[in-house]
Amino acid sequence: MRINCPCCGERGIDEFSYYGDATVTRPDLTSPTAMAEFVAYAFERANIPGPHRELWYHAAGCHLWLVVTRNIATHEILSVESARDVALARNANAKGSA
Amino acid sequence: MAKSTLAAQSAFTDLKTSKHAALTIEVLDDLTMASIASSKGRAEEVKAAIRAAYGVELPTTPERVTGKGIAFIWHGPDQWMAIADRGAGMRDIEVELKPVLAGIAAVVDQSDGRAVVRLSGPRVRDVLAKGVGIDLDPRAFKSNGVAITHASHIGIVLWQVNDAPAYEIAMFRSFADSFATWLTHSAAEFIGH
Repeated sequence: MRINCPCCGERGIDEFSYYGDATVTRPDLTSPTAMAEFVAYAFERANIPGPHRELWYHAAGCHLWLVVTRNIATHEILSVESARDVALARNANAKGSA
Repeated sequence: MAKSTLAAQSAFTDLKTSKHAALTIEVLDDLTMASIASSKGRAEEVKAAIRAAYGVELPTTPERVTGKGIAFIWHGPDQWMAIADRGAGMRDIEVELKPVLAGIAAVVDQSDGRAVVRLSGPRVRDVLAKGVGIDLDPRAFKSNGVAITHASHIGIVLWQVNDAPAYEIAMFRSFADSFATWLTHSAAEFIGH
C-alpha cells in the first residue's frame, strides 16, 4: 500500500504509522455523561467495510499528520488530506453552526 | 555553537572518503548546520527575511536552494535545514541566522547532531536502490530534489547535488556507523570490501 503524502508525494506504507479513527473527536471532560462518551470515543467502532477516514502519521518522512480515506475492504485510498486542514475546517464549521 | 578547544571527530568511525570508478564516497565533516522552524503563522516573514539576507526563496516543496555559500533544504512544512561549509573562518550558521530570524523562527544548531556523506559516481543509484525506497531515476528525481525518507530503516534526509549524479545524505549522528555498515555492504559489489 502506498500513500500520496501532500508534502512528499507517493511513499511506501513503511514510512507511515496508523493512528486510528479520524471521525471521532475527543469528548468534553466536564460533560455529565463524560464516562460513556469517552468509552465510545476510545473503543466503540462500527467497523463497516467500505470507505473509512483514518489518521496516519508520516513518521519516517515530513512528520505531517494525515487524514486518509481508505476503503478498508480493498485498501484503495480515495483521498489524503492534511489533518491540520481537516481540523481547522471542522473548527470553522463548528463556530459557524454555533 | 560554542568554540571549543577539543578536536572535532568524524561521526563515522571507519567510513573514510574514498574514490572508485563506480562510486565516490565523501565524508563531509566540516559542515555548519542549523534547523529552521517557522513560528506559527510566520512562514511568509521567514521567507522574506531569508530572501533579504541571502537572495533565495525558501522552498515550500521538497527542494534545495543555494545562495551565498549556504544551502537551504526543505525539512517538512515550514521547516528547513541550513547547511554551509564551516571552512577556515569557522562559519557558524546558527549564530549567523539567529538575528536574521529573531522572533519569527526557531534556529537550532545541528552541526554536531547530524552526519553527512556525499555519494557520487555512475553506480550511486544502484547502491542507494538497495536501501532507499524512493525512485531516484532522473525522470522522477532531479538535481536539488529533496526527500525525507529512510535508508535501511535509518531515517535520512537525501538531496541531489548535481546531475553527475551526486547525492548528499544527512542522518542523526548516532546512526552514522549503522548507515556506513549498510552503505559499505551495498557498495561492496561495485567497489569491493
